[in-house]
Amino acid sequence: MNVRDEKHLELIIETLLADPENEGNPLRYALSELYAEYRSLLHQIDRITRISDRYQTVSRDEKEALTGRYNKQLRQLEKIARISDRYQSMMRDLNEALKDASTKDALTGIGNRRMLMESLKAETGRAERLERPLTIVLIDVDRFKSVNDAYGHEAGDKVLVRIANAIRNGVRDYDLCGRWGGEEFMVIMPEVTATEGAAVVERMREAIAGIEMMADGAPLQISASFGIAQRRPGERTSDTINRADAALFDAKRNGRNRYEIAG
Amino acid sequence: MDNLKIEGTQSTPSIVADFTAGTVEMRGDSYPENSFELFSPAMQWIEQYLQQGRPLTLNLHLLYLNTSSVKAMMDIFDILEDAHKAGQTVVVNWFYDEQNERVADLAEEFKEDCSFPFEIISQVE
Repeated sequence: MNVRDEKHLELIIETLLADPENEGNPLRYALSELYAEYRSLLHQIDRITRISDRYQTVSRDEKEALTGRYNKQLRQLEKIARISDRYQSMMRDLNEALKDASTKDALTGIGNRRMLMESLKAETGRAERLERPLTIVLIDVDRFKSVNDAYGHEAGDKVLVRIANAIRNGVRDYDLCGRWGGEEFMVIMPEVTATEGAAVVERMREAIAGIEMMADGAPLQISASFGIAQRRPGERTSDTINRADAALFDAKRNGRNRYEIAG
Repeated sequence: MDNLKIEGTQSTPSIVADFTAGTVEMRGDSYPENSFELFSPAMQWIEQYLQQGRPLTLNLHLLYLNTSSVKAMMDIFDILEDAHKAGQTVVVNWFYDEQNERVADLAEEFKEDCSFPFEIISQVE
């Protein structure tokens, strides 16, 4: 029954019940009771529908709020992860820079004494274990003090940079080079005997002697002396270094711009 | 309302809140074991302060933040955002060392969802 039919029927019933002609009709009482019952049921259905609708609204609102919160948190989480990743990569790069700074010589860009010490330790251990040759070369710039005295520290620094470059370009792929201190450099040559190392050193010496530099309008004479020592089996690293140092001293005494091999 | 002063350590930033000046300053690295414990007092202070309707300036000199600190900072910016939407004056100044531009990039990421004034300022430290 649709609403219009319902309204129509209600109108008929209400008219019948109101008509005084139907007073005393035995069906009138029954119809009146039935009609009251019908009205009350209708009212209840109305209420139930309204309450149910309200529940649905609340539940829908809640769902929307939860979805909103969920989406917001998801966005926040994504953002946190993104920012956090960037902080981590920043830290990683800083770490790299620190490692660089701690193993590289600030002036020349080649390894520093710390790097050389660590490499010496590792290479000595390897040479001992595998019974392989290892050669150490100590390099000292000739008459460096006079360059500093005559032309100043800036010129001296430039000389050191040029020499460091010559050394770096002169070593083989597996060799390690660094600034040992002041105007002293070191090359570590794994898998190489002193004689084999001397060939590399000789090229390096020529390269350094060939450096063309001007200071105060005059050409600078640059050269370096070299002490070569091949590690003896079982020898402590400091002893190998001392022998290279002694050979370097010999090279200086024998006229500079040359190498000597430690006996 | 009391001022707040939390000393910094190697892994936690110093946090100084000044009621009269209307400023909160955080300075240093932040990778605490418990970032909730570290930042809660600051968040409470900020919330209480903002309830008084006064303008707030947050000055940040932060370098490294771990993940939970990133979350805490975002929560603080949410508090500021709500206050800003309610019509209060809130300002964030994020200072960074000009040697470290990447901190500025990260500050930009934080700034993205904030509608209040958020300055990223280069500084020679």
